Amino acid sequence: MPSFRSSRLPRGLRITLLLSPAAVVIGVFFLGGVSQAVAQSFGYQPFLPDYHWSTDAYRAIWLDPAVRASLLITLRVSLASTVIAAVSGVAAALAIRGLRRGRGWVTGLFQVNLAVPHLVGALCMLLLLGQSGVIARLTLTAGLSTSPAAFPQLTGDRFGWGIIAEYAWKETPFVGIIALAALSRGVADLENAARVLGATQWQRRRHVTLPLLAPPVAAASVLVFAFAAGTYEVPYLLGRSYPATLSVVALQDYRDTDLSVRPQAMAVAVVITLLTTVLVIAYLALAKRLSGRPL
Amino acid sequence: MTRARRRLLATLAAGVLALTGCSSSAGDTPASSLDPPNWKSVLTAAKGQTVNWYMYGGDDTLNTFVNGYVADRLKKVGVSLNQVKVTDTGDAVNAVLGQKQAGKTAGGAVDAIWINGENFATGAQAKLWYCGWVKDLPNARYVDFTDPAVSSDFGVPVNGCESVWQQADSALVYNSGALSAADAGSVSSLFAWAKRHPGRFTYPALPDFTGSMAVRTILYDTIGGPRSLSGPFDEAKYAPAAAKLFARLTAIAPSLWRGGSTYPQSEDAVEKLYADGVIDAYYTYGPGAVADKVAKGQYPKTTREAVLSVGNIGNISSIAIPADAAHRAAALVLANLLQDPATQLALYQAEGIYPGIDLTRTSPPIRHAFAAIAPSPSVLPLAALLRNAQPELASGYVTRIDKDWKSAVLQK
Repeated sequence: MPSFRSSRLPRGLRITLLLSPAAVVIGVFFLGGVSQAVAQSFGYQPFLPDYHWSTDAYRAIWLDPAVRASLLITLRVSLASTVIAAVSGVAAALAIRGLRRGRGWVTGLFQVNLAVPHLVGALCMLLLLGQSGVIARLTLTAGLSTSPAAFPQLTGDRFGWGIIAEYAWKETPFVGIIALAALSRGVADLENAARVLGATQWQRRRHVTLPLLAPPVAAASVLVFAFAAGTYEVPYLLGRSYPATLSVVALQDYRDTDLSVRPQAMAVAVVITLLTTVLVIAYLALAKRLSGRPL
Repeated sequence: MTRARRRLLATLAAGVLALTGCSSSAGDTPASSLDPPNWKSVLTAAKGQTVNWYMYGGDDTLNTFVNGYVADRLKKVGVSLNQVKVTDTGDAVNAVLGQKQAGKTAGGAVDAIWINGENFATGAQAKLWYCGWVKDLPNARYVDFTDPAVSSDFGVPVNGCESVWQQADSALVYNSGALSAADAGSVSSLFAWAKRHPGRFTYPALPDFTGSMAVRTILYDTIGGPRSLSGPFDEAKYAPAAAKLFARLTAIAPSLWRGGSTYPQSEDAVEKLYADGVIDAYYTYGPGAVADKVAKGQYPKTTREAVLSVGNIGNISSIAIPADAAHRAAALVLANLLQDPATQLALYQAEGIYPGIDLTRTSPPIRHAFAAIAPSPSVLPLAALLRNAQPELASGYVTRIDKDWKSAVLQK
């Protein structure tokens, strides 16, 4: 932008001004929200006549069986959906790149569900996988199951299959698109060079393609994991009320009509935030190692 | 580096000030100038206002009634209605709480809430409500304020902080093709039937409003009625009653839907299970709405209702106005319209929702019109529902049962 470059504003101020709209949004809505949550988790409840600061909420959630059970299912669901999305996303990207004809058409079809909200995706899974869903009705008509209750529990189940299915369905194209973007012409040139030097197909995959794909796919996977660990609507619709994921437990506590439970809801929210922050730090360390240079 | 950072901080601070500075605009109705006993002044102030009415939005027939009949009648006095649907009334209370937390005392976004029970108690706990106006509504003359269900809400004194709208009586909805009338006669016979037909009965996971009522009905049956638990919460009375209740609930759990290993998350989910033929019976707070579902073909024609031998829990739900509501006058006009005998009759006709007002205080034509409405064979008549109506417990008991049910039943 020439007008900015030629302006007489000092460089530091110019950058500050350009960044300030984004910084204000982040400062007010993100930092403001997080600090409110932290304050309330330590008992700050100005709307109650007799509130006091304490760490009671953290002690309470540490002892709460609902929170303890939710750690396991949260990790299980997020990890499983991230692994499935990463593996099938990369596989799909490689397969699409290998297409000779109709590549644009297939790519378009592949990413069509990116525009579908998770809420709609979860409802679709419910209609598809539920015990009175489409698949259950088809098996019933075909005589494969005797009653709706005889169909395997895929939604509202203890393991979380329905939640994993929704995340995997929705996030596979997300990882796939990022992998496709990383598989640029430059990658093909490097692969060709390796082939000329005598590398087998497996060696080219192992030593050329995958190392180049690893940083962007790792970034996408961390996003998927953090998202799966933090969202509420999918596990609420497709999971159980117990054991439920951390986000659902936080909302159950938040909706408790007894206001003295509110700090516990905020404490769970703070735990989710810490979990996500740890993940991002782990990712930055991982990405640094994978790409061999700091980001 | 440090200079740039200081500058960045200054910019941020300016931005924050600018944002917070413009958020404290005044409300449309100066709250102090309104005088409910002078109803004309309320009507004048309400003209041109839009009332933002937060209410449970999961009932399609009721939504149609609200946006049709209610909105049309409000329009005649110059008030527009904006129905804000929530899945849980607690969300509306949280919205008001958030405003109070942010230091707002006027101009609040929530003008009226359809409310009762624990949510009303929550708002009372945080002093959210505008109070002392209830008897000033012109239509309050149709309300029986001596009725304990009107003067107190789940044990919390109303103190003129909410005005009566409708009455909810619970009932058991069942498929007469699967259960006989005798099976639906008492809690014991229902449980015996469930043992013979595992997986065909359930209730929503507490603290769902209806699930909570289902468990309290079983509690009443277990301890011989609510009398021994009347009055405010008392641990000494509660503990032995709860022990008996949870022993009975864990004993029946293996015969419930999915072996009692989980419970549906909401009453909507339970109704869907019934509509899909997965279960054959469930508890409801809205027995009148069942006729509509049978007529639309969502429920089997053999659907019937029963009041178990223990009786049925009933309560009254109301309209509360937050103290910081921007359109207080319009909210008062809405609360008054909802108590109008003609509105109550139209609501009963549209959805079989029972009147919150005292019918003996209404004019003979209104009483005759109520009596003339023949309910569908699937629905219990008003008299049958009222014969053995049981009061609610104090909200202290309700909250404790909701909480203890989780550890004693759900997490087993």
